[in-house]
Amino acid sequence: MTERYVIIGASAAGSSAAETLRRHAPKAQVTVVSDEKITYSKPLLSYYLAGHLGEEQLFFRAPDFYERYGIQRIHARAVGLRPEKSTVELSDGQKLQYDKLLLATGAAPRFPKIEGIRREGVFGLRKLEDAQGILARLPSTKRAVVLGGGLVGLKAAAALKERGLSVTVLVDSPHVLSQMLDESSARIFEKIFEQNGVTIYTKAKPVAVLGTQHIEGVQLASGEVFECDVVVVGKGVDPRLELLEGTPIRKDYGVLVDDYLRTSVENIYAAGDVAQARDVLRGEPWINALWPCAVEQGRVAALNMLGRAMSYRGSMRMNSVQFFGVPVISAGLAVLTPGPLGGRPGEHDETLESRPAPGIYRKIFLKDETIVGFVLVGDVQAAGVLRILMERRVNVAPIKEELLELGPDLGRVLPLIVEHKERFVEREFQELVQTVGV
Amino acid sequence: MERLFCDPRRCVGCRACEIACAVEHTPSKDLFRSVLGGELGPPRRRVQTVGAEPYRVAIGGVALSLSCHHCDPAPCVDACITGAMHKENGQTLCDTEKCVGCWMCVMSCPYGAITPRVKALKCDLCPDRRGRTGRSRYACVEACPTEALFAGTFEEFQRVLAEPIKAVWEGAQ
Repeated sequence: MTERYVIIGASAAGSSAAETLRRHAPKAQVTVVSDEKITYSKPLLSYYLAGHLGEEQLFFRAPDFYERYGIQRIHARAVGLRPEKSTVELSDGQKLQYDKLLLATGAAPRFPKIEGIRREGVFGLRKLEDAQGILARLPSTKRAVVLGGGLVGLKAAAALKERGLSVTVLVDSPHVLSQMLDESSARIFEKIFEQNGVTIYTKAKPVAVLGTQHIEGVQLASGEVFECDVVVVGKGVDPRLELLEGTPIRKDYGVLVDDYLRTSVENIYAAGDVAQARDVLRGEPWINALWPCAVEQGRVAALNMLGRAMSYRGSMRMNSVQFFGVPVISAGLAVLTPGPLGGRPGEHDETLESRPAPGIYRKIFLKDETIVGFVLVGDVQAAGVLRILMERRVNVAPIKEELLELGPDLGRVLPLIVEHKERFVEREFQELVQTVGV
Repeated sequence: MERLFCDPRRCVGCRACEIACAVEHTPSKDLFRSVLGGELGPPRRRVQTVGAEPYRVAIGGVALSLSCHHCDPAPCVDACITGAMHKENGQTLCDTEKCVGCWMCVMSCPYGAITPRVKALKCDLCPDRRGRTGRSRYACVEACPTEALFAGTFEEFQRVLAEPIKAVWEGAQ
């Protein structure tokens, strides 16, 4: 009988899983359910908001992807899950029978619980309709307040600034990008935003979105009011777990999955921003809500759904972004100030830091001679090599003096890779090991 | 699939491959015009010194010319938020029209093989060079004066590595 694979969600994880299933099981029935009409790249929304990309440039797969791959795509919301019957109920009344199910429902923006937050004119930046809603208001908008100094908040702020708005960012934390950067690196970006005309207030506690017919401003606990016509919320996201209600699927913050991305219920898998999976740095399951992780998890989950036992290596805290032409890549927990979501105390015992040229800043965090975090600002090319050394927990003592000058040089670190070749199982690394071993 | 490899015993670190690569990726593909006309961008292949002391001696080589390995699955393809980075007939290619310069691929490539320069630049296996005359259809391989660079499968390259090293002139008639 033809296997029936059902995927809930059509973003990074869902699409990647669908493609993998189709590639390896040409005859299987693959169905993707999405509550969004089209599949587009959510991380590109800020580029769309800024006017750098048109709507037709948001596709990360060809528009005829589903047709071409023979994947059925249903535009509906999954509203019920009955694992005992292996069925999913959809908002249009359909019932889908599955042999294997993938939950790739993603995450939804977290709105602070303050007065007026649901007022018209308050937007997240997670869905195309959010960006469209903001754009529709632009003609009558002069001032914007962004709640949150994280990645989405700052990307939205930069985009709105480019649209000519006066933009104020209100940040709870002591500095921006607190989930990505340490204080000294974050200050660099606070300065860049200020230089580009975006006002940033840290340690700001908004208590209300003011207005009657239209939004008038955001009020802080101090009583201070920032007048504005539109509010964008970038306060992080929460996994979408509605579908789990009434099912025995184990969850913590997200859907708990094992190293084969299986949930606690047979034949149901999870991937992407909804899945709490192995984290190589934390040693406990975690959600690193990041595009590359979602794509990889979608593929690994699909391979396991196909019965090809494939273990997931695990994700880690990392990110890459560019603001006003200045790129930054950071990875690792040590970068973060200790806190509930951030790093833990004692995460590092040494830091290396350099400013080799104007606009270039590098900082590497070490623990027991192993890289546990880094931040590269301005020149990011070495990020991939540093990241793999960190991920594979390689003792870098022999090249410590050179780490900050590393540049993109894989050659410099090849001897360490040869020494720990059992940790570099990828075919390409093994080829390199053999090549330099002659 | 044919890929490019470098024999560390033969590579003398002359960087001829780098300049050939950089020139190949200019509009004129001409060394003179590229350099004097200011067209020259970064090479997508870089000669790297293998190891720091004390490893250099132990490994027995001095330099190695490295670029994209065209991995499968490719972490850069997974990481790409636009679909610019993609696989095509086994090759890993970047559609620079689509690239927005988010550098997710730079973060994900464990080989440091992607150069962030407005767009993500990487080895594209010289797509416009097909059919041109020369010793090799790859600019870097053709430019290599010591024949350290090799185009073929890894199995074929392994056979090269298994052979004792010969000077280029010893092989000539």
